[in-house]
Amino acid sequence: MSPMRKLRRFTLWTALKWALAIAIALVAVFPIWWMINVVFAQAGEPVSLNPRLWPTSLGAGLDKITTIFAETGYLRAYGISILYALLTIAGVLLVGSLAAFEFSLFEFPGRKILFGVVLLALMVPTAVTIIPTYVLVSRLGWLNTMEGLVVPGLASAFGLFMLVQFMRAIPRDMIEAARLDGAGHFQIYWHVVLPLCRNALVTLAILTFIQTWGNYMWPLIVGTKEELYTVGQVVGLFNSPLSHHTVDTVMTANLLAAVPPLIFFLIFQRQIVQGIAMSGSKG
Amino acid sequence: MPFRRYLPHYLMIAPFMVLFAVFFLYPILSGLYYSFHDWNGVRVPEFVGAANYTKILASRDFSRAMGNLFAYIAITVPLGILVALGLALLVDSFTGRWSNFFRNAYFMPVVLPAFLAATIWRWIYAPNFGLLNIVLGWFGIPSVNFLNDTGTMLYALIAVDIWVSAGFNMVIILAGLKNIPTELYEAARLDGASKRQQLFHITIPMLWPVLFFVLTYGLISAMQVFDKPWLLTGSSFTSYGGRRNALLFPVMDMMGRAFGGVKFGEAAAYGFLLTIAIVVVTGVMFGLRAWSERR
Amino acid sequence: MKTTKAFRAALTAATALIAVGFAGAAMAEDVTLEYWVYSDFAQGDALAMQQEFIKEFTDAHPGVTINISGKGDDDLTAGQVAGAASGTVPDVYMNAQSVGAQLVDVGAMANIYSQFMALPEEQRAQFDKDALASCMPKPDELYCLPYTGFGSMLFRNLTVLEKAGIDPTTPPATWAEWYDQMQKVKAAGMYAIPDETLVFNSIAEIYATTGNTETWGFDWANRKTRIDEATMTTVLQKFVDMVPLNTGTSRNDQATKDLFISNQLAFHTIGPWVNPTYDEAAKASGLKYDFVLIPGDTAGKTGGIRSYEIVAVAPGKNQELAFQFAAFITEKTQMARWAKLLARYNANAAAMADPEVSALPLIKVSVDAAHGAMEVAAPYFVGSIPSCYNSTVIDYASATADGDYTPAEGAKEMIAALNECMAQ
Repeated sequence: MSPMRKLRRFTLWTALKWALAIAIALVAVFPIWWMINVVFAQAGEPVSLNPRLWPTSLGAGLDKITTIFAETGYLRAYGISILYALLTIAGVLLVGSLAAFEFSLFEFPGRKILFGVVLLALMVPTAVTIIPTYVLVSRLGWLNTMEGLVVPGLASAFGLFMLVQFMRAIPRDMIEAARLDGAGHFQIYWHVVLPLCRNALVTLAILTFIQTWGNYMWPLIVGTKEELYTVGQVVGLFNSPLSHHTVDTVMTANLLAAVPPLIFFLIFQRQIVQGIAMSGSKG
Repeated sequence: MPFRRYLPHYLMIAPFMVLFAVFFLYPILSGLYYSFHDWNGVRVPEFVGAANYTKILASRDFSRAMGNLFAYIAITVPLGILVALGLALLVDSFTGRWSNFFRNAYFMPVVLPAFLAATIWRWIYAPNFGLLNIVLGWFGIPSVNFLNDTGTMLYALIAVDIWVSAGFNMVIILAGLKNIPTELYEAARLDGASKRQQLFHITIPMLWPVLFFVLTYGLISAMQVFDKPWLLTGSSFTSYGGRRNALLFPVMDMMGRAFGGVKFGEAAAYGFLLTIAIVVVTGVMFGLRAWSERR
Repeated sequence: MKTTKAFRAALTAATALIAVGFAGAAMAEDVTLEYWVYSDFAQGDALAMQQEFIKEFTDAHPGVTINISGKGDDDLTAGQVAGAASGTVPDVYMNAQSVGAQLVDVGAMANIYSQFMALPEEQRAQFDKDALASCMPKPDELYCLPYTGFGSMLFRNLTVLEKAGIDPTTPPATWAEWYDQMQKVKAAGMYAIPDETLVFNSIAEIYATTGNTETWGFDWANRKTRIDEATMTTVLQKFVDMVPLNTGTSRNDQATKDLFISNQLAFHTIGPWVNPTYDEAAKASGLKYDFVLIPGDTAGKTGGIRSYEIVAVAPGKNQELAFQFAAFITEKTQMARWAKLLARYNANAAAMADPEVSALPLIKVSVDAAHGAMEVAAPYFVGSIPSCYNSTVIDYASATADGDYTPAEGAKEMIAALNECMAQ
């Protein structure tokens, strides 16, 4: 094979690869881009005449956004959703890491059985437990409260599973060394193990954020008063099939719900991607 | 005093285990109790034996939902993994900034809430003037009614599904790729192995544990598929599943029976049938892995 | 004569005062009522008006606070059912007539018959008779007050009709005329109608062009459907005929509205809630449209369906006050203001007869549409409609339109499947 031909084949292959990569990137990102265009376009313009391939009217978009903020409790819903996510993240990380520390690094009677039972929870559809949990929460007097929203989701089987996978890789020698230095059980957890799993904790925090932000059914039945509406519920008001909203307002409401997780992703993208990668590849 | 020795361990797992017992074990056990009762949430539950189970197993919607589920899983799980693997290999073939760029672009749909993905895609799929049909129109292809034509509905769902989940799996597989020692490839190249041979004899076998994780997790979540088909079909508790129930899935049917029909006993029984199916499938998966490792 | 009238008026006022006084005495302590409405009642102008009603009521009832929460259709039912399971049903709430039996079944609705009878006779007489009767499964049981409602109408895009060479000045009087126009629209390269087999309510709307309330809905005594096989055969044939003419989108899809607004769709059968959207398009992009009655098989017969949203009251310690509030918002003065603001039909016949209200074009057509239309799921409040019912109707209508059954087979199979579903 002459060097010339080799070069040509190389460039053809590279060109194809680039074309493919860009095409897929378009498919992945375009729907989100398109939603932005729908919002930033004159309302009522038929999609057939303006397919909204790029934003056409900044003013119309801002109008729609201000209308939505004025007419619904969207801002308050942001606050509720963020608080709900933060409290859930804090709780899941604390409770989950405490348990994962034990399950992954120590032997004690009942460890296998308890862990097995928790893993079973991964296989039970949430819908099975939603009504009994709801009845329980209402007996505790937690309907329409933040604790009703947050507490039932704290014992996350997925979170525990992920942290255990990660902590298993921590060398036992390090723990033994710390013990010889006179560190107590809790101190080992706090000063040795937690700093080592920073990445895993960040990943779990992010996944928990995405999951609570998109959670619809539980907030719907627990937080029935407007003061406790999450972003998902406010968007639900717009998505209802008989509402007289047009595509523009519906998309605006949806876009506003997408903004926080997208910003979150753009800020933390490196940690997110690395963390997920670690949790999976250790499986 | 063995108990005293273990006490710190139990204290540390106590917060998790207590919350888990109260908000998971207790609800699931009471769900099991209700599944043998006729219960509407208010009246005193009335014991009916296995009637809820037999009624569900005999119902037309159950067989329809299970049929749809099998077709869906058979396509979406393997295809999803193939796409994710393809994306990972593609991203891996770039270096530096571009590798990061493409990885982030492919990952972006993952962070969107599920209700949002469904809303966007409902519009992209709309007949005549939906974005997809406009694009097809440029090539002279007549409008396809993706979400109402029983022949295309399942594929339309699978496309959304893969759009949402491929980035997540890709990232996991990418990490697996990075963990494969480069010496293996160098040795293979010295032996004169082609790119394709390297893929099938090094990459895929070395990735196997990662692929197994993706596969098992994909199976478990696919069996619980709910919000995407529910929203794509514009379902409500009084009618769900889309045209001719082409996108009816077990969890949807269960939710409909619970909140549409107010039959919580029946819904609980439905949930347990599904749970059994998931446990069996997962068990088979782990059995297969143990068997293949022993060989 | 005149004195009796004056006397009666005085008596009414006195009773009303006593009732208010009673309610006032009953709540020496502060009470908060939870009030749930459909999401479109809790947005924009509608919300402002609801808040005005609430303010007027709370001003007259010191110590009372009323929280209004808007919810999507499904979320209302889910929240009320879940609330019933834990004893936390909202005090006053809206929903559709067709889920009434379910809510009674789970104990979410109080029997307000005696409270209703304690209202002044003049106020009781304001309600539409049929609508009120639908809240009463038995003579001494009343579970709701009919509130807003609709009769479905035919929205026509006049530009499309003119392009298809149809004179829009006289609306089609019969199904045959209408179908003829649909074919002309299609021949001119536009869409005639949405796919009416996709949604239960649109199937019902077309069924009503041939059938009526007596051959639709439920025979609860025998747990069978009332759908008539011959009528359904005719109707399924209509669906088959419309296959080449339709848009492939359902009547509720936002996509359908988009086609209508962009002058590609001629007819849209739906309730008056789309009017604000179309009205806005008329102003923004010059959409020319009107709304008429849905023609039936014979001249003078109306197709389409009728349904009411209801206000119900939860049993419990706030029941009396909650009922007072429900009675207040459904009273003529409030309903007339509501109708004028939104040009929407409601179940207060006296408010509908108010000259200022009945002069509104949308109300005028709505009143006729509601009177000629078929009840969507009658009789109400007898049994919970099994969740398989609506989907079975949609299934067989779609399957027949797809060509899997002939209309005669489809009707037969559908009715057999419905009876099986009802018997469960």
